[in-house]
Amino acid sequence: MNVLFCSINTLLLCYINTRKGLYDISGVEVGQHLYWQIGGFQVHAQVIITSWVVIAILLGSAIIAVRNPQTIPTDSQNFFEYVLEFIRDVSKTQIGEEYGPWVPFIGTLFLFIFVSNWSGALLPWKIIQLPHGELAAPTNDINTTVALALLTSVAYFYAGLNKKGLGYFGKYIQPTPILLPINILEDFTKPLSLSFRLFGNILADELVVVVLVSLVPSVVPIPVMLLGLFTSGIQALIFATLAAAYIGESMEGHH
Amino acid sequence: MANMIMASSRTLVTPAPSLSTTAKPKLIISNSTKLPTPKITKDQFLKLSTSTLKSLSFVAATSLTLAPPSLAVEIEKAALFEFNLTLPIIMAEFLILMFALDKIYFTPVGKFMDDRDAEIRAKLNDVKDTSGEVKQLEEQAAAILKAARAEISAALNKMKKETQAEVEEKLAEGRKKVEAELQEALANLEQQKEETMKALDSQIATLSQEIVKKVLPTV
Repeated sequence: MNVLFCSINTLLLCYINTRKGLYDISGVEVGQHLYWQIGGFQVHAQVIITSWVVIAILLGSAIIAVRNPQTIPTDSQNFFEYVLEFIRDVSKTQIGEEYGPWVPFIGTLFLFIFVSNWSGALLPWKIIQLPHGELAAPTNDINTTVALALLTSVAYFYAGLNKKGLGYFGKYIQPTPILLPINILEDFTKPLSLSFRLFGNILADELVVVVLVSLVPSVVPIPVMLLGLFTSGIQALIFATLAAAYIGESMEGHH
Repeated sequence: MANMIMASSRTLVTPAPSLSTTAKPKLIISNSTKLPTPKITKDQFLKLSTSTLKSLSFVAATSLTLAPPSLAVEIEKAALFEFNLTLPIIMAEFLILMFALDKIYFTPVGKFMDDRDAEIRAKLNDVKDTSGEVKQLEEQAAAILKAARAEISAALNKMKKETQAEVEEKLAEGRKKVEAELQEALANLEQQKEETMKALDSQIATLSQEIVKKVLPTV
């Protein structure tokens, strides 16, 4: 009896331990944050840290690649020129001929989101242990995506008001005043859909990879990881393209 | 993992009842139901009771903790949709990044690319212009060739004329010479004729006298 109980006891203990161990190894800590206090406000430190890294990567590589531009471009310069051409192309197709001033905004959106997403998939953040929470792509946090989406909203309002003055608000009763509520609603759904699309995709991708890794540690997660890289790129492109489309939409004439 | 997600989806995780309180009633039940069946001494009973107490409490604890929702007790409330100062900080970081990238990447590289485009276009136009230049050069070459040909033909004509004149001169000279010789020969002939005529004249008188003598012997 005693022995039996003990064995059950140890078995259960082992079970608990292995389960705990699994969680320790593979656990993505969803919604866990490392908090910093700044002036009485809380901050998700892991997001701030990773965003610094992303910004450092972007600025550093840009400085190194284009500090001394050649007429016949070197490899890295060629890559950066290609990226700029790509961004210009996206802005031009969405905004139209007056795309010039918006290239920095669209380009920074695309590059920041793209590098953030790929850093989440490629950089071994998990090596660095935090006392609480864990490092991941900055776009994994709703704060980041909402910040970017709100900036996009501000940008397209600014674009419209700058182009047409107060006449911009005339678009709310186009084509008929009956659509006024829907047009107003659109201003809320745009940032909402932008932010949640990005946040959901990146979080879900990371979760799927982690769950698969915890179930089958080798080979099987690789296609999903590649799919994750693909999705990350697509999401960055979608965010930038939609932002450009919103800006273009608010700038175009509707008379 | 699934538990965590489940837990995160619930806004308020209900704390599972603490282990000590739930374990106790079970222990009492086990004491009352299981212990009387085996006949054992007090000592054994005490030993057994402590061990079973331990193991049973573990069973109770584990069964509780392993149940999906109660695992979340170990995990704090997941804050997936928690907004705080991170949002404005990221906004500020993004704007700073935008200005920095604009200064070191978008504007200079864009300007550089545009300049290069303009330069290449200008060079291309230059190339188109040189085709006109080539035509001009060709015309020039043709003109030079024509001039050279004219010069050569002129020289040729001149030489022809010169040689012809020379030839004619020599011809005329030869003719003159021949004529002079002819004249001389003719003069010689005339002279000889006159001489013979003179000789004949003197002989004629004697001859005629001889003839007359022969014909007229009687005279």
